[in-house]
Amino acid sequence: MAPRTGGYLRCVAMFRLQGSKVLAVDMTGDAVKAKNGSMVAYDGQMAFKKMSGGGEGLRGMVTRRLTGEQMTVMEVKGHGTCWFADRASEINLVSLQGDKLYVESSNLLATDAGLRTGTSFTGMRGASQGNGLFTTTVEGHGQAAIMSDGPAVVLRVSAQYPLTVDPGAYVAHQGNLRQSFQSGVTFRTLMGEGGGEAFQIRFEGDGLVYVQPSERNTIAGDV
Amino acid sequence: MGFREINSKMVEATVMPGQRLFSQRGAMLAYKGEVSFTPNMAGGQGGIMSMIGRRVANEDTPLMSVEGSGTVLFGHGGHHVQVINLSGDTLCVEADRLLAFEGTLQQGTMFLGSQGGVMGMVRGQISGQGLFTTTLKGHGAVAVMAHGGVFEIPITPQRPVHVDPQAYVAHHGDVRNKLSTALGWRDMVGRGSGEAFQLELSGSGAVYVQASEEKL
Repeated sequence: MAPRTGGYLRCVAMFRLQGSKVLAVDMTGDAVKAKNGSMVAYDGQMAFKKMSGGGEGLRGMVTRRLTGEQMTVMEVKGHGTCWFADRASEINLVSLQGDKLYVESSNLLATDAGLRTGTSFTGMRGASQGNGLFTTTVEGHGQAAIMSDGPAVVLRVSAQYPLTVDPGAYVAHQGNLRQSFQSGVTFRTLMGEGGGEAFQIRFEGDGLVYVQPSERNTIAGDV
Repeated sequence: MGFREINSKMVEATVMPGQRLFSQRGAMLAYKGEVSFTPNMAGGQGGIMSMIGRRVANEDTPLMSVEGSGTVLFGHGGHHVQVINLSGDTLCVEADRLLAFEGTLQQGTMFLGSQGGVMGMVRGQISGQGLFTTTLKGHGAVAVMAHGGVFEIPITPQRPVHVDPQAYVAHHGDVRNKLSTALGWRDMVGRGSGEAFQLELSGSGAVYVQASEEKL
């Protein structure tokens, strides 16, 4: 349990993992944002309130409607410990120090209330991942919990070492990364003799990429 | 005696002559030695009356009794298995979550309405438990199945615990549970947070919660 001190110290919700599939958050009067319905248990006093992702206010509402990147989020506030889990997915903790995390809204489990969430355009890459053209961004200082199907590996990308990822296995990325879409479509692919890896995302720059040991169903997976 | 966890999804039990095990029918994966499996028509312990009781209560998961001498491996459906050791207290668990338990435990059926009256029945319906639940009492080990990993939350009189009814697996000890609702006007207009109903467990004991909101 986190010490229940308040006062002049800034209260920050403590994220910790209980096993690999359950996220425990110790709260002392502060709030976290979590995926709707992902609470499995809590002790102490908690209040749950529905929010909507994609930014605040009217602009956020319009963005959500337009992009379809809507995540139903709830705000959990109170004193005590709250446990979150979703369909036995593996959970990874990401701490953000002012940088930006790009993640699919379906893979985002919980964030500190102090983090800003928004929506950004991904273009071709999004479509190839089978996730649509938009993705969720998380920005600020604090912790976020992302979910993956199977334990995710964190791969570092640096200037000398660019990284190429299967769109179906990509979960999230953070840092200063440029992404480009690669296709290995050749004459053979068109003839139906492809190797099953026709599309890839290439990351260049400096940052981290989270990759899961499982592939979502994508268009690229079939060719 | 007892169960030994081979990995997170399999348990190994040692059977010795004169000691009996009960397990869900078809949950045996492999065995060594001379072990016999007999389908248990009564669906557990007790006489014909408890059998009828279980039938009525719809808590009559097909069980088999395991006897002989050797070791048996149990597992079912790729679900995670949690071994709970009981020392004199009572474990409440859904019958279909029971993988195996030792014959030294006393099996019974509890009517949820007896705990909290009408609200108890409503609670059973909402959490998908039905109106009855299975109880195991005594000294021995139980292997319980859950989707995803299981973790244990201690309950003390000062710290009641609230659990999502879908993620609830089992509880033991001297625990009272009631359904608490956090229904507000937001739920009425369809803007609820998805956490409208919770099981509130208070007393002293422990509750087992799974890392998923899926039923078995």
